[in-house]
Amino acid sequence: MAIVTARLKETRPGGWVVTVLVGILAVAWLVPLWLVVVTAMKSTPEYFHDASQWSLPEDPLQLFANVRDAWFTSGMGAGFMASLLYGVVAGGLAILFASLGAYSITRLRIRWPFFWFVLVFSGTIFPFQMYLIPLFKLYQDTGLYDTQLGMILFYTAIALPFCLFVMRGYFATIPRELQEAARIDGCSDFGIFWRIILPLSWSPIAVLFLFQFTWIWNDLLFGLVLSTSDGVRPITPSLAGLQGQFAHSGPPLVLAAALLATLPTIMLFLLLGRYMMRGLTLTAAGRAGSE
Amino acid sequence: MASDAKPRKANAGKATAPEGTEVAAEASRPFGRLAAAAAPYLYVTPMVLLVGVFLLFPAADTIWLSLTKWNGIYPPTFIGFDNYLNLRTDPAFITACLNTVYWIAGLMLLQVALGLALAVLLNTSPLAELYKRILYLPAAISGAAIGVIWYAIFNNQLGILNAALRFVGLGDLAQAWLTTPPLNTFSMIVAAVWQGLGPTIILFLVGLQTIPRDPIEAAQTDGANAWQVFRYVTLPLLRPITVVVVGINLINSFKVFDIIWTMTQGGPYRSSETLAVTMYRESFVSFRFGYGASVAMVLTVVAFAVAVFYIRAMFQRLEVQ
Repeated sequence: MAIVTARLKETRPGGWVVTVLVGILAVAWLVPLWLVVVTAMKSTPEYFHDASQWSLPEDPLQLFANVRDAWFTSGMGAGFMASLLYGVVAGGLAILFASLGAYSITRLRIRWPFFWFVLVFSGTIFPFQMYLIPLFKLYQDTGLYDTQLGMILFYTAIALPFCLFVMRGYFATIPRELQEAARIDGCSDFGIFWRIILPLSWSPIAVLFLFQFTWIWNDLLFGLVLSTSDGVRPITPSLAGLQGQFAHSGPPLVLAAALLATLPTIMLFLLLGRYMMRGLTLTAAGRAGSE
Repeated sequence: MASDAKPRKANAGKATAPEGTEVAAEASRPFGRLAAAAAPYLYVTPMVLLVGVFLLFPAADTIWLSLTKWNGIYPPTFIGFDNYLNLRTDPAFITACLNTVYWIAGLMLLQVALGLALAVLLNTSPLAELYKRILYLPAAISGAAIGVIWYAIFNNQLGILNAALRFVGLGDLAQAWLTTPPLNTFSMIVAAVWQGLGPTIILFLVGLQTIPRDPIEAAQTDGANAWQVFRYVTLPLLRPITVVVVGINLINSFKVFDIIWTMTQGGPYRSSETLAVTMYRESFVSFRFGYGASVAMVLTVVAFAVAVFYIRAMFQRLEVQ
């Protein structure tokens, strides 16, 4: 605290006024979260009984009962597991395929390396609305509609271009001498990729995985269009469906469901927030004005 | 990268690159030589196939579908530019355009301008790290959950906000936040800003940290006040990151969907739709796929126009420097 006040003094005279004003805003920013948590801790009768709806819950443990109810309502639990699967598998596959491509483009004797990069990266320039109708048609025609395989394939594809952008940029910074030395030792092209290049790239891979997992987990649009049944449908469309029964199920249950749908990404943020913010600046550099 | 493509073209027939020892070793066997030349393409095959089939082909197909009438059951029939002509007089489309303008204005004012101001204030604050974390927290929540949370706050009868207003005796201020246009759009913009302000501030803070201290100190020595320093020194130096943030926010205004879909589904009576929501509703609720495709095309053309503006601004910055 002494350091804080010392720094306040040296910055400028109005410094503490600013600190207090922004502090009020920060508190205001937490109010909706507070309301969500408090409401999710109430039983439905308790919620409707309380006129202000701002009072503290009688029994905070009611939260677990509400989350359990939410898990078994409107396919939320199945959606949770499905989203987990899509985020991990599609996020991982996208990074793997993008890394293979980036390796070929930056290190192997491929013709028109820049063409292949632009071809794949052009997958980020269209608004998502451009993909929806033909994808729906394609999925209906091929039987991919409403299957986990279909969801994984699409999420892998949509995550790929940005992964390629990052991995290509990162591979270019790895010294070529490493590759030459490994080759002299008799390492194959794939061996160099798998045992040298990839292990050196864990830090961008971690940031990308965090970023793509969060993106896939949070996606609503493609989940709505490409899936319909419990077990295939991701968690966000399930939540949107539950939302339709807001008055019927009661706000505590719906907000408990919203908490459930938020849990993994909030946990990731609290644990690895620094990397997430770094991912954000990466995105800004990579696809500002595209998407 | 493009430079080393040329010499290869010259001896493409021989397929033995000058320094490729392992290729030379296998060159004696014609099959091995072919495999070695093809291998690099195998590495790009998965990503090219996935992006081609699931992104690029659909994008091209939408262009064609926008010129057809198609209900999803019978084959599409070609109708030329009729969809686009019909858009001009479609009240729902015009409302969606107007709402998209509201979203742009709202995000520019509440997210970009406010975000810049807060970033400048936070830049010298000792509690910046804590505030940054708090303001960024909602950005970790999905748009769908944001919509659900703010629906619970803004809901007319069951909403927390109206209940609180009545409770403290300000019942007159209670509003039908989500059912009165255009108030419903403004309410949803508030929800979106709650989610998006944190990331905007962080981008501006990154920009502020790259600004050298010298010009600011020089201006202060010359007697410039805080506002003058901001206006004539900080702001011009922040131009690169401002271009990025404005670009991102413009694009976000066009593609906002999740929050609207969970809070109002574009209603009541299609009063709070934006172009992204109109596209979805026409296609997957009304099953007018050709018409929906034409809305997607309009959205894309406008977004591309914004991108061109954005790229030009980037080049102007390069010329200035």
